[in-house]
Amino acid sequence: MDADAEMGRLPRGRHGLSPEFVARNQRERLITGLTQALYEVGYQKTTVSLIGQHAAVSKSDFYKHFESKDECFVAAYDAAIERIRDQLIATCEEASGEEWPQRVRSAIKALLELFEAEPALASIALVEGLRAGRGVYDRYQVAVESFVALLREGAPPAPEGTSAPEATDEAVVGGIASMLGRRVLAGEAERLSDLFPEILEFALASYLGAEEARRIVSAG
Amino acid sequence: MSSTRPELPREFIAGHKRRRMMEAIAELTAEQGYEATKIADIVRRAAVARKTLYDNFDGKEDLFLSAIDSTVAEMRVVVEEACAHDGADPEAGIIAGLEALLDFVAEHPAAARMCMVEAISATPSSARLYDAGVRDFVELLQKRSPGETDLPETIEESLVGGVAWILQLQIRKGEAERAPELLPELSQFVLSPYLGVGKVVDPGRRK
Repeated sequence: MDADAEMGRLPRGRHGLSPEFVARNQRERLITGLTQALYEVGYQKTTVSLIGQHAAVSKSDFYKHFESKDECFVAAYDAAIERIRDQLIATCEEASGEEWPQRVRSAIKALLELFEAEPALASIALVEGLRAGRGVYDRYQVAVESFVALLREGAPPAPEGTSAPEATDEAVVGGIASMLGRRVLAGEAERLSDLFPEILEFALASYLGAEEARRIVSAG
Repeated sequence: MSSTRPELPREFIAGHKRRRMMEAIAELTAEQGYEATKIADIVRRAAVARKTLYDNFDGKEDLFLSAIDSTVAEMRVVVEEACAHDGADPEAGIIAGLEALLDFVAEHPAAARMCMVEAISATPSSARLYDAGVRDFVELLQKRSPGETDLPETIEESLVGGVAWILQLQIRKGEAERAPELLPELSQFVLSPYLGVGKVVDPGRRK
């Protein structure tokens, strides 16, 4: 039995909780249950009954919330992206008094820590999202673009004599997402923080140049 | 001299048919997606008999995977040759390789879409082929890396992933034909971790 689901499970019988609360709680548990099952056995083997087992929700209750596994998957995908975005926005706000490279440092660190602590979240967002097909691919793209906007905020302009790097921030974010996805797929989700200095160097180098990026990374 | 049509060698015709089927599945998946593409559509588009398809491939997925595999191999050869052409100057080599890649995408929009977009989500095996393709290009970049410092593999993977992402956006917008316009920005992006932002030759201004 999944530990998270066990903890999130409501007491049986007359608990005096409102039906709305119970419903929301069940829905959230199903989303967590699908995310976890997906990470453990992959999309094909993630059945409605397995999701129910993880979430401690009956199959018939599952269908009160979602029409199908696909629908639950899309909800879980959106929830995962929202959590990542919330985390990044909160980190950027906390570091708002800092210089841009320091803000990038904090954001990348927070992102890797979140993925490392919750590999199932990393997996649905980075790996399954792309593999799930057209509908979800659009969501992945929207998510990447929203992270691009965060990175762009306060980034230094391109040095004189070079073309304005319009596609640069998209390539930086898309490149990091792709690389992280490959590592998660290789079963390395729990060691993503090891990559922190390299990812930071990569993100900064496109704006500040290789030397300056290395200097900032090693200055800590 | 006989005026009848010259006999083409049997292997030539067989190879030609194989290629037509692979082109057909590329076009069809670009137009309507992998799922919706049926064997009947493929044989009609390729103008071959159903039996010919099954003589050559185990079925739709096998044809799809063969088509991806052969396109990725072709892409790799084109890029590798372009890189090598500028021999001594690794920086120019990378720019030439990128240029060849962008031209390939522009000239073969359906095939590019098949291996860079459809492959990722169509089937687990096609996703693995996509991953292997990315791996190939990471190795190519490592072999050709400019500058004295060796970069960690994480960065090279991110560079290849970043270029792929920009091309995917371009393909999905339906603007694969305009991919070559991305050359200045992508050269800058790929070279800056090796060299330094100000030091990158902007191919758009290199006259």
